[in-house]
Amino acid sequence: MKKLDKQTLMGIRDQFGSYAWDDAEISELVDPKLGIITGFQELLDQLEVLRKIDLEATPPAGDISSE
Amino acid sequence: MSTPLAFAPITEINQRLRNGDLGAKELINFYRDRIERYGEISKAFISLDTKSALSKAEIIDESFNDDLPLNGIPYACKDLFDVKGLPTTAGSQVLQDNVAQQDAAAIKCMNQAGAICIGKNNLHEFAYGATGENTLYGTVPNPYDQSRLAGGSSSGSAAAVGFGLCAAALGTDTGGSVRAPAALCGLVGFKPTFGRISTQGVIPYSWTLDHVGTLTRSVADAGILFEALVPQPRRIEPESLNNLTIGIPESFFFESCDHEILDRLEALMNFLRLAGANLKSVSMPSMEYTRTVSLTVQMPEALSYHNRYLEQRGHLYSQDFRAGLALGQCLLAEQYIRAKRFIETYRDTMNSIFAEVDVILTPAAPVIAPKIGAIEVTVDGSSEPAGNAITRYTSFFNMTGHPAITIPCGLHSEGLPIGAQLVGKHFGDEQLIDIAQQIESGYDFELPLPDLG
Repeated sequence: MKKLDKQTLMGIRDQFGSYAWDDAEISELVDPKLGIITGFQELLDQLEVLRKIDLEATPPAGDISSE
Repeated sequence: MSTPLAFAPITEINQRLRNGDLGAKELINFYRDRIERYGEISKAFISLDTKSALSKAEIIDESFNDDLPLNGIPYACKDLFDVKGLPTTAGSQVLQDNVAQQDAAAIKCMNQAGAICIGKNNLHEFAYGATGENTLYGTVPNPYDQSRLAGGSSSGSAAAVGFGLCAAALGTDTGGSVRAPAALCGLVGFKPTFGRISTQGVIPYSWTLDHVGTLTRSVADAGILFEALVPQPRRIEPESLNNLTIGIPESFFFESCDHEILDRLEALMNFLRLAGANLKSVSMPSMEYTRTVSLTVQMPEALSYHNRYLEQRGHLYSQDFRAGLALGQCLLAEQYIRAKRFIETYRDTMNSIFAEVDVILTPAAPVIAPKIGAIEVTVDGSSEPAGNAITRYTSFFNMTGHPAITIPCGLHSEGLPIGAQLVGKHFGDEQLIDIAQQIESGYDFELPLPDLG
């Protein structure tokens, strides 16, 4: 998987009907300087590991029923 | 010897109200005076409603109803709960003009039980964070050491009870936000089975993970509140500790943990062994990616709710919460669904474990309350963000939805409380409270009252 870049996130913002996040906020996600959000790339890397695990037909978690 | 009124549990206050030793109005005035003295130091409250509380107390005093389990008991709630006529700010500039038109379901239950809401508590903005830092209303200090955090996100609720400013408080727990601050402040924090207490009328953070919970001075108090807050509390036969099998996780929950906390847990385990309980090692799911799974669910859900405010009021959010919401925008739908499927696997595995044990015991947190302003904490030579450390042992059980309670189990040499966490079966809330109560009454640990100066 390639490293996330700012253009990808700007594309999501501009082409996916997203809220208009500031450029600086998007920069922070790919190249954290303020220490507000760190590790988005790491999160994506971990999600990529999880993607490769076969969950068979496990459904998404829903409400918890009693007995 | 009875406890000073400011730190007396509900069970004692109830007795005094019923005996006529104490009036409901007198009690409200007592807490109002304490809030005048400690409110600014504790930063526990965002808004107060003592005038209305006094009116309600006056009516209660005129004809005291013994049948109501919380009659005349003053409590506070995190400022995410709607209380009719009061602002629900969520600790944010975004909702400064948001006055509730109705009571939240939990507030209605408390009212029906006779309890009196005296005010609304400070919190991490919109419950986004475990340190309880809030630029608008101030960072909430720990009653045992005011240079340290109370912990969050229900920081003000923990401080309100911890500083002796009310008898109990309601909070919300999405990753440990009731249990962790309760543990750091020497209180009892209880998060019931997912969905058992209604979240209606509470500003959501993450629908999949949010639980309403309680912060109290004793397990018995947690039990009284729980019975008031659930539609159909179950009657159970109390089980003796010597019939119990208690699961002790083989990995993760006792790792990278302060040694004095581990010592206190070992002492608690010895007490349980002596009481006849069977301690059994259990193999939990791998925790390697659980924070990733939790975040992948939390942030898109938070964004989905906050979309209603972003266009008009986006500039009023704190910088860190906006960044978290932006992250939520950049996750894929399949990643969100996959995370929820992992949660289902965690629930299945835990339910299999609970076929063999009655409860699971862990430390409440791997650290004592961090210093205010500390970005990271270091345990055993490894550092992690303070907020992550505070909720490291609690957040998994928000995903699985199992009931969990944190109870004090001693004092650290640095003067801060240490807590233990007990986790029960789905819908085994009453049994969990009963077991915790037996431990509380039988296990002799020393936790002095905080010295507030």
